[in-house]
Amino acid sequence: MPDATPARAPWERSTRVGQIGRYALLALIAFIVLFPIYTTVVAALKPGNRVLVNPLVPDSFTLDTFREAWSEARLGRYLGNSFIVATAVTIGQVVTSLLAAYAFAMLRFPGRNVLFVAFLATMLVPLEATLVINRQTVDALGWLNSYQGLVVPFLASALGVFLLRQALLALPKDLRDAALIDGVGHLGFIRHVAMPLLRPTLGALALFTFLGTWNAYLWPNLITDNEDWNTVQIGLRQLKAQTLDAPNLVMAGTIIAAIPIAVVLLIFQRQLIRGLTAGAVKG
Amino acid sequence: MSNRPTRRLFAASACLTLAACASGQSILQAGNDATTSTKPVAPSTTAGAPGPPTTICLVQPCATTTTTAGAGPTGLSAAPGVTMVMAGNPDFAACPVDALEAIDEPVRITFWHAMQSAQGDALTDLTNLYNASQDRVVVELQNQNGYEELIDKYFLASSDDRPHVVQMPEYMLQQIADANTVITTSACVQAGGYDISPFLPRAMFAYQTGGVQWGMPLNISTPVLYYNKAMFEEAGLDPERPPITLDELRDYSQQIVDSGAATYGIAVDSGVNSGGAWFLEQWFARAGLPYADNDNGRTARATQVLFDTPEAVEMLTFAQQLEADGLALYVGEDPRGIDGLLAMADQEQPAAMTIASSGALGGVLDFVEGGAIEGITPAEIGVGPMPGPSETPSATIGGAALYITRDLGDAEAAGAWDYLQYLVTAEAQSFWAAESGYAPVRADATEIEPLVSIYADDPRFRVPYDQVNFDADDFTAVGPVLGPMRQVRQATAQMMAAIYEGEDVQPSLTAAADQANLLIIDYDNRN
Repeated sequence: MPDATPARAPWERSTRVGQIGRYALLALIAFIVLFPIYTTVVAALKPGNRVLVNPLVPDSFTLDTFREAWSEARLGRYLGNSFIVATAVTIGQVVTSLLAAYAFAMLRFPGRNVLFVAFLATMLVPLEATLVINRQTVDALGWLNSYQGLVVPFLASALGVFLLRQALLALPKDLRDAALIDGVGHLGFIRHVAMPLLRPTLGALALFTFLGTWNAYLWPNLITDNEDWNTVQIGLRQLKAQTLDAPNLVMAGTIIAAIPIAVVLLIFQRQLIRGLTAGAVKG
Repeated sequence: MSNRPTRRLFAASACLTLAACASGQSILQAGNDATTSTKPVAPSTTAGAPGPPTTICLVQPCATTTTTAGAGPTGLSAAPGVTMVMAGNPDFAACPVDALEAIDEPVRITFWHAMQSAQGDALTDLTNLYNASQDRVVVELQNQNGYEELIDKYFLASSDDRPHVVQMPEYMLQQIADANTVITTSACVQAGGYDISPFLPRAMFAYQTGGVQWGMPLNISTPVLYYNKAMFEEAGLDPERPPITLDELRDYSQQIVDSGAATYGIAVDSGVNSGGAWFLEQWFARAGLPYADNDNGRTARATQVLFDTPEAVEMLTFAQQLEADGLALYVGEDPRGIDGLLAMADQEQPAAMTIASSGALGGVLDFVEGGAIEGITPAEIGVGPMPGPSETPSATIGGAALYITRDLGDAEAAGAWDYLQYLVTAEAQSFWAAESGYAPVRADATEIEPLVSIYADDPRFRVPYDQVNFDADDFTAVGPVLGPMRQVRQATAQMMAAIYEGEDVQPSLTAAADQANLLIIDYDNRN
């Protein structure tokens, strides 16, 4: 007769102490992570003269700060700029990384490995080292204060190529052979086989790229000197400088700038999870 | 490893990473060692036979001596026997002041500035007034959000991307002169026959080097002493009589601490934009001591700093003792310049005084009025001149000046000069000083509305003005002009931090002086 209860892994056995310990640890970590967000929200909802009194206790409530931060700092326009730039860069990076990764993983051509190592080597150079040179280049192209200047230098990413190449190499070889037999061709393979199967990696890459571009301050600041072209991070810096005596406005501005990111995260989270669970269970 | 390509890839990555990290330096610093040449750049002054002092002045006719403040043209007089040589460039741009007559449509000029909050609003208002008052020039303001960004962008810009008018802080004077990207204010003043006699001599002098007036001062701020009048009263001190000399500062602090009115007499910091630079520069200027050679860098480029002296040791030891004896609170590097003020607002262990920029007064009063800090009302905040080693309060000019970029078109240059003239009229300066909290650059602005009422109703606002309203016949009084001024200030800030933390004064001072000299040599080699 086989044993009725299957063996349980160590982390599945639930003792009382273990459970309490787990929850306590999670609560602690959650507290540390959420505390700054809590103080930001509390400060953003306070009127100006109450912001330093009881900074942790929401003892007064006003939504004027959001309205003021929106209009004073022209955050609407800057959010639009950031959104266009981040979306363009994300799409660009995903497309170029996927195509390049496909070439490195699936095709054979002379110098393939050397070229791949060269791609990886670019990851060792920090952004700050090439900042000035890139600015001169962008200036010479006449792309200061323009979307091209903000987007084009970031349309390719060595990290993206690396991630997607590893993911493609992990696909079973039979898939590639079946595709060859079916005669789909390169783009067909990418569209029908690679993209659906690589959805979690693509989703992760898109998310990180969007986040990174949204949060970028150094490059946009350097190539724009016209206020109309500010991204939301420059707008926040401006808000911070303009309202030295109103930290609650800055908090409200920060929340306004963070909302689109939160929305994008939620959307992509569904994609990520769906992609992760799609091939998990066989049959 | 399962296969050869992966192994090779791993090896290649490891080698590259090792190579990048093995140099031991950040990639940003690699190759950037300070150059130590054996011979400093020779100063371009010739000590010839004794003769009458050479005077260079901006507007003919010139008086040989300057008399009362604000009267008479500003002149520079060199020490006897020294010939002044123009700093570096024979190629000064001309100022085409009449080019506006020939235009058929309005000229558009851009103005990069770094004014924030109330000051930014005041500048916007003034510019709108200017644009509305005439139809030849339209000025477009571009706020660059801070001096650092502004400076970076300006020097990185190619010649046609630069703005027509740019605001540059006072420590950039030598760099602007060496870059030679501007039309000097001297050229415009002489070409247009502009009368600069109403201007504060020190304000104009602050932006002169090599006998050339490079920029037009716009905003003036100085360090001032903020103090809590209620605490003064509690300690038995006169709340209308802040300390002026260093001895008074110490006595007042002692009395405050002894009486228990506050935990500390004064809060001090070592920020690059505040205490780290002020204690040396301002006190030297006040004591009439030169900070750098070649007349503080005003007659020719400075080749070395001169602040490693027994007087400096005495002054810095005074500061160190104040902190060591518990009379002063050291608040650290204070990057935003407000930690001293926050120490005054502290509920448990407050300080009764602090030294901060005069530009902060408006913001401080607004903040306190909102009731954000318990126990202090706006009326209880006193403002006095910065204490220093002399009986007469005095300060060097802080703030920024306006420069007209050259080679962007004659009509644009003329338009820029027209705009500059507007910004420094008495009416504009009165409005500007009243709204922004800066001191006006001319004396007659203090006699008209709205400034005259503000100064009469609240004399706290005139403290920075009184500190700079003096003659300009003394090179030491306006502070040094150095190419790497910012980095020299970083060196002195580190020195002040070390001193407050208990290091010996003389070695720290010498180390800072050596570092400053290296910076100057490096700058001279590159320019």
